Amino acid sequence: MTISPPLQAPPATRRAARGRMLLWQLLGLVLLLALWWLVTDVLRLYPPYVFPSPRAVWTEISYGLWGSGPQDGRLLAGIGNSLRRVLVGYAVAVLLGGVVGLLMSAWRPLRETLGAYLTGVQSVPSIAFVPFAILFFGLNERAVLFVVILEGFIPIALAVSGALMNVPPALRVAGRTLGARGLGLTTGVLLPSAVPSILTGLRTAWSFAWRALVGGELLVSASASLGAQLEIGRNTANMALVIATILIIGTIGGLFDALLRALEARVRRDYGLEVPQ
Amino acid sequence: MTRRLTILTAAALLTSTAQGQGATTVRLGFFPNLTHAPALVGLEKGYFQKALGSAKLDPREFVSGTSLMEAFAAGQIDIAYVGPGPAINGAARGMPLQIVAGASEAGAVLIARGDSGIKSYKDLSGKRVAVPSLGNTQDISLRHLLKEQGLKAQADGGNVTVTAVPPADVLAAFAAGRVDATLVPEPWGAVLEAQGHRMIGNEKTVWRGGQYPTTVVIVNTKFAAGNPALVTAFLKAHADAVAYLNKNPAAARTVINAELEKLTGQKVDLRVLQRAMVRTRFTTGLDLDALNDYAALNVEAGYARSVPDLRAFILPGALKK
Repeated sequence: MTISPPLQAPPATRRAARGRMLLWQLLGLVLLLALWWLVTDVLRLYPPYVFPSPRAVWTEISYGLWGSGPQDGRLLAGIGNSLRRVLVGYAVAVLLGGVVGLLMSAWRPLRETLGAYLTGVQSVPSIAFVPFAILFFGLNERAVLFVVILEGFIPIALAVSGALMNVPPALRVAGRTLGARGLGLTTGVLLPSAVPSILTGLRTAWSFAWRALVGGELLVSASASLGAQLEIGRNTANMALVIATILIIGTIGGLFDALLRALEARVRRDYGLEVPQ
Repeated sequence: MTRRLTILTAAALLTSTAQGQGATTVRLGFFPNLTHAPALVGLEKGYFQKALGSAKLDPREFVSGTSLMEAFAAGQIDIAYVGPGPAINGAARGMPLQIVAGASEAGAVLIARGDSGIKSYKDLSGKRVAVPSLGNTQDISLRHLLKEQGLKAQADGGNVTVTAVPPADVLAAFAAGRVDATLVPEPWGAVLEAQGHRMIGNEKTVWRGGQYPTTVVIVNTKFAAGNPALVTAFLKAHADAVAYLNKNPAAARTVINAELEKLTGQKVDLRVLQRAMVRTRFTTGLDLDALNDYAALNVEAGYARSVPDLRAFILPGALKK
């Protein structure tokens, strides 16, 4: 029996396929915009204070991002603050989740108690924790960060402990045979082989953290933030601003997800987990 | 969760519209605040129902102009008492509304927590100040006040944290030390003061020497077109309520208190209510200059891009001579 080398499509073909996909995605976007324009500007199915036209939303985006008026640039300031918050919260969540996940994988009683509770907490929508966070920390950034960290660390802890538990026993035995013990076995053998599963956890944690952030900011709107922009749009009957903010939240969330997805795909390929089609 | 629900209310507008010709109910929106006293008196004394005759009055209570305007946009409110901020923003964005009368003027004060160390407007630097909601009437005048003091909100690059807290929750927020000061409509200012907190700015020094509308009456233009007689009857009852408030303030306090207790389950001390009432004026007239100034502040605060032609939204007879 001979081992055949992994099958891979030639790079040129792959690039062409990706190009075609991008074209379709672009076409979909154009169609969606056309439909939106048709419903609002041409057919006028809804009054503008309910469903504004694409042009009105674009105006809000341009004012909010690069406008030169005295109060312009608020969306940009909001993006800056929100990104800073989510990155800090996410970093803490990754550290905390990593440590908790490691401990859970190493110690069965912890896994069976804390692990079960974490799964329960994860099923609670993040916005449900905001009133508690406000009472505990006050109407400030810490309350928002608390919710982001809480939401972000759970998927990471569960992914890390799950990934470590699922390392094939053969690898563990091989590591021991070669003399790895305790922490050395964990960092040298188990963790590297768990990387693909952990990356999936990191991506889930990102989307949880991002959603928790916007939810928290909506209720704790003290400084410029995407959540505060949503609230201001709502309070001033400015639906165009609300939609503009939603688009920005979706774009940023999607971009980071794509980035993590690309990283995940790359790692899975390097680990030989991708089966060529 | 109520916020979620009000977002759903806005979605419900896709299915419902304002009542047209020959409405059998009149849906009235208002808040349980002293600045909405004509509504409270009109309800408690039965003025509205009497004036509307066979049409049934359906009063609906709201906690902020935002949720009220969402219900209004969804066609679920025919007549409402609301701050000039939400009214102007709504009209400028094309909502079918007309401002038909004034209701109250002044009646908003700046209170600092007793142990916050704030003694004057200048001391607001670096502090947390609560307003009923972002973009509402008090928020706009607070931002202007800060500007006059050379201060700025944190969101605009300054160091004053402006945060949204419903007036009824400010009592708890003060007790927990979560905010340092608040610009609130009455009677909440007087209630806070009675609890030992300090008044930094009275209704006159907060803005325009106290010459500004705090509550106005709006109608849905579709409802008004289909039911002119009902609107006229309502406005007559509103004028009666304002006249009652001005002629019998002592009796009106008891009436307001009874209605507030019914709505919020809380009784306000009559002396506290009296203090709050002294700082609030009741009128049916509208001051166009003040409304225009207000719309200009709305632009200054970045909540609108231009001052709309307010005359287009105001019932001509409602203006003060």
